[in-house]
Amino acid sequence: MVQISKKTPDQFIHKALDIIRTGFGQPSCFNTDAIIQELLRQGKSLVDARNGGCSGCVETGAFGTESYWLTGYFNLPKVFELTINNGYDTLTQEQVGLKTGYASDYKSFKDLMDAFRHQLRYLVDIKIRGNNIIEKTFANYLPVPFLSLLVEDCIVNGKDYNSGGARYNTTYIQGVGLGSITDMLTSVKYHVYDKKNYTWDEVIKALNCDFDGFEQMQYDMIFSSPKYGNDDDYADQNAVVVFEIFYDAVNGRADSRGGVHRINMLPTTSHVYFGSVLGATPDGRKAHLPLSEGISPFQGVDRQGPTSVIKSASKIDHLRTGGTLLNQKFSPQFFEDEDSYDHLTALIRSYFSLDGHHIQFNVVNAETLKDAQKHPELYRDLIVRVAGYSDYFNDLGEDLQNEIIRRTEHEIV
Amino acid sequence: MKGIIFSVKRYAIHDGPGIRVTFFMKGCPLSCWWCHNPEGRSYEPSTVEQIDRIGEKEFRKKEIVGKFYDTKDILAILEKERIFINQSKGGVTFSGGEPMIQFDFLLEVMQSCKENGFHTAMDTSGYSTSESFNKILPLTDLFLFDIKHLDNLKHKEFTGVPNELILNNFNLIVESGNDYMVRIPIVPGFNDDPDHISRLKNFILGEKHENLKMINLLPFHKIGSSKYKKFNIPYKMGNVEEPSTQKMKELKAFFSGYGVRVKIGG
Repeated sequence: MVQISKKTPDQFIHKALDIIRTGFGQPSCFNTDAIIQELLRQGKSLVDARNGGCSGCVETGAFGTESYWLTGYFNLPKVFELTINNGYDTLTQEQVGLKTGYASDYKSFKDLMDAFRHQLRYLVDIKIRGNNIIEKTFANYLPVPFLSLLVEDCIVNGKDYNSGGARYNTTYIQGVGLGSITDMLTSVKYHVYDKKNYTWDEVIKALNCDFDGFEQMQYDMIFSSPKYGNDDDYADQNAVVVFEIFYDAVNGRADSRGGVHRINMLPTTSHVYFGSVLGATPDGRKAHLPLSEGISPFQGVDRQGPTSVIKSASKIDHLRTGGTLLNQKFSPQFFEDEDSYDHLTALIRSYFSLDGHHIQFNVVNAETLKDAQKHPELYRDLIVRVAGYSDYFNDLGEDLQNEIIRRTEHEIV
Repeated sequence: MKGIIFSVKRYAIHDGPGIRVTFFMKGCPLSCWWCHNPEGRSYEPSTVEQIDRIGEKEFRKKEIVGKFYDTKDILAILEKERIFINQSKGGVTFSGGEPMIQFDFLLEVMQSCKENGFHTAMDTSGYSTSESFNKILPLTDLFLFDIKHLDNLKHKEFTGVPNELILNNFNLIVESGNDYMVRIPIVPGFNDDPDHISRLKNFILGEKHENLKMINLLPFHKIGSSKYKKFNIPYKMGNVEEPSTQKMKELKAFFSGYGVRVKIGG
């Protein structure tokens, strides 16, 4: 990882891009100025904040003075699924949520969101109760004396690192699937409440059939719905609403170590597992397929290029999190242009001036392009550049797609 | 006043310096055989069939190519991108089609872009009246000027129009002191023979070229051919090969040898 502040020279970013372009997926870029503001907001001193940074995936912490724990991932789209099924989980056939009603009981989008808020709060309560039990187990049975020597104030407090001895104690809950939940809510708002293209009964029927026999509806939900990642407020405002609901449910609530709970938005790999325990969803996604990762748009739905993704992703307030994760993908030919480093540097700096926490660039390989031929609906965002001209991969004829795959295979990095 | 635009590209990075927004304006008096935006030729909105796929299954829907925008709409899009434009020293580019075809609208919208602090560029074939070019000059920070062929007959055969007007307007821009880039499509068998390349060099790098910012050599490619099928326009370039990477590098070296910045592609 590299940390980039407003003081970092362009040359440093260019060096990082030398490595990024190899397709290694590293280094990822972190916003120093945002990290410090996040830590200050959490109550760290300026000195401790400046000594802090990010570790693990993207999570923020004050190095050497803080005990910050990631206590588990929170499946935001699953909350939606429970909300439209009266709290009943069709997969495990158990009543796990509140009985807030069925989809067709929600006469307005606001009714739906109110129920979603109650469900989410209820599930976060369970999560926090569980966290406290686990944390007490750590405190009682798993002391870490050596670590306690190294983290400030454990000695002064006469308390172990695992019992709240550190100067700062934070318990993070990671929200997963922001792009997916946003698209689900947006699709329902658009097709059911605003345009009335479909009724809730029709939608529920299609979801229960995994869209078999409802392909036209699935198509409309994928191709004719506003989507998160396109700088379209119609969709993005739902990301903000979900973010605020999740934040309100978690932020500032006591943990068992004398610290508080905070949110961050990172999935590690749980977006795959969380998708596998979720049926079909009204963003057009078939049952058991992965969710969006981090705060990135769902795969393939961002159709306006990277600036629009950055605009969408910066509408949530990163400074009130302990880290967010944004992935962007580019084809390797993109880096051939002699000005590409300047453009990418400008992209990073723009995102960071909008208080974005982290951005990572992945370079597409030939295997990805072959997959795009098989599943074009998941690669609607994929732009390839050939000889001074760029176009959507999906819009090219098959022979030209094959030509680009051959070129990508032979790309020397 | 409204203009008709067939595509808006955010994060446009091949149409002038920095990160830009490019508006592709509909209607073009030329009909170049190699055109990769043939949907931009006609002056009216047209309806095409858009085919999307989910896995193997195809879905067809009617899509309108060419939508009406007024100046307010254009500025709203630019405002969304302002942070990137400022950070990268980018701006707005009007392309097409041929933007000069919608001259009154172009004049109004470029005036507004200037007033709102955006760097303005125009990607033009040069095929318009000199009077119009004189009027648009003060509003255009950068011209991306296409030069395709110096021989009138060849020009007429492959683009549908003669080139006197174009070459006159080019001289007018060179004399004006505005910044410009020259874009040359490299089309094998049409304009890439050594004699013509040498004459192009003499014409472009003649007595005066201190405001020439770059030469863009645009290799002919067949990516556009799928559009011809989609828009049901006959494609005449099926037998023409794309220029080799080696050939493009040689041409770049040739023009670079005269001290001008040359880029393959936009």
